[in-house]
Amino acid sequence: MLRDAARPSQIQPSANERRTEQRFSALKAALPERGVIGYVGEPGADAMGDYYWAQYALAPLVVEHSPNHRLVVGNFVSTSAARPAFENLHLARDFGNGVLLFSNEDAR
Amino acid sequence: MSVSLAPLLCFASGFALVSLGWSRREPLAIDLLLRASLSVGFGFGIFSVEYFVCRAFSRTNLLAVDLAVLALLAAALFFRSRFLSARSQETKTQGLDERPVWFRRTVAAAFVFALFAAIYLAIQRVRIYPSGDGWDAFAIWNLHARFLFLGGSQWRDGFTALLPGSHPDYPLLLPAAIAHFWSYFAHDDPRIPSAIGFAFTFATAGVLFAALAFLRGRVAAMIGTIVLLSTPSFIEQGTAQYADVPLSFFFLACVVLLCLGGEERERSSSGLLALAGVAAAFAAWTKNEGLLFLCALAFARVAILARRRTRTALASEISTIPLLAVLVPALLLILYYKHFVGVPGDLFSSPSASLHRLLDSARYWAVIKWYVKGFFRFGHWFLLPVSLLLLALALTTSRDISLARQPGSRTAVFAMALTLGGYFLVFLITPYDIYWHLRFSLLRLFLQVWPATVFLVLSNVRTTSAPNA
Repeated sequence: MLRDAARPSQIQPSANERRTEQRFSALKAALPERGVIGYVGEPGADAMGDYYWAQYALAPLVVEHSPNHRLVVGNFVSTSAARPAFENLHLARDFGNGVLLFSNEDAR
Repeated sequence: MSVSLAPLLCFASGFALVSLGWSRREPLAIDLLLRASLSVGFGFGIFSVEYFVCRAFSRTNLLAVDLAVLALLAAALFFRSRFLSARSQETKTQGLDERPVWFRRTVAAAFVFALFAAIYLAIQRVRIYPSGDGWDAFAIWNLHARFLFLGGSQWRDGFTALLPGSHPDYPLLLPAAIAHFWSYFAHDDPRIPSAIGFAFTFATAGVLFAALAFLRGRVAAMIGTIVLLSTPSFIEQGTAQYADVPLSFFFLACVVLLCLGGEERERSSSGLLALAGVAAAFAAWTKNEGLLFLCALAFARVAILARRRTRTALASEISTIPLLAVLVPALLLILYYKHFVGVPGDLFSSPSASLHRLLDSARYWAVIKWYVKGFFRFGHWFLLPVSLLLLALALTTSRDISLARQPGSRTAVFAMALTLGGYFLVFLITPYDIYWHLRFSLLRLFLQVWPATVFLVLSNVRTTSAPNA
């Protein structure tokens, strides 16, 4: 156990931890307090972690992994990756650090 | 509300509940350690149920409810000590350990080293992962706590099929206990889940040490605690903010209380057996695996007593009534949650597909292979699997079968075996990819039963210090 333990000087809160609350704080202020909003993000199974970090940060809003909502959060953690275009989604605001807010007028 | 009031009320409620069913034992220091360690988990359990009931019935004055429950427990305790004092005088003497001094000192030094190494590692992990290490912490347990605490009158919205990965059917002991503490802090402080995980981890070690000290002396207690605390995955999971170590706490508590209850005279064992039932109920309120354990426990107890044909059987059956009686409100609470709040789980969604999987022999072979591999690997040990050493110890040392013959101990062993069998069955019928499911959950399932297994093995090993009842 001690072999694997980090030295006290090396201890840093994990990157996800530090980034998530900071990344979503401005967005959270712009969203309703409760209800259901949509979500789009990078493709692939690994990106599901990003989705649940976003859900965690935005609770008690329910964030469904679907673009079929009037308000849709965009979460693109990898800044180098090209962002896919989403049909029917219009960029409402870019909060920086890969956090976007879209509107979907066609949604219910 | 005062921040320091929350842990105080939580622990006091747990201590009062444990003391209600307790028979005092000697030495007093070990008695207090066992009661205090049990009180940690029982306190979180009470806090969790209180918070959920307040949420479900839209009660907002949490402090009044906490104080009322504590006052009720204290009044019951007073009544018990005032009018039923004869039942609480049950004590047990413990012989001195007769092993060589050098051996006892070596074990004591290893114990102190293991304890401090575990505390050091746990503190480091809490600092590195303040919101937990791994998916389940932020996607399930802490997320549910956030919905409970931040959701206001619409807290049920968070338990929805729109979030299938958050497993909205999972029970709420951990999330509701976290949310209860957050209510006292007035914000969702990320240190609370860390602190609860830390407390459960070392309370489990405390229960193991004190219970073994009672039954087999301090050397066996130190060896058992060294085995547990030097299991890296136990410390890792305990500080990961998952529910597996809290569940292992309640499994161990239930097994210990069953065994201690079996050692008592029949008349005074009902309190300990009722506490064993409470531990099983809290296990069921922690994870779905705990619900399986609760059913296994009820079945095992009834099956073992049904086979007895002695004159003491009737007394045992009477003392079993409190154990089974406390399971009823727990089942009602869980049924309420599953029916009115949570959404159905996916495990039993298609009975015909489950039956088809059950008839596939390749799945049996796959699960057996993973069970064997997992037995050696679940602890994340360096070089030598301690599970193998424990098995060797169980097979090569002489056994004191006096405890093993007690219905409490037999019930515990049977219930644990049934639970492991139930896990096996779940892997056979899982709708997920079987290898994916085994890979991401089997080692944690083994860890859930590990503290209770260490206790059951060491409590049956003959030691020179143990009184042969």
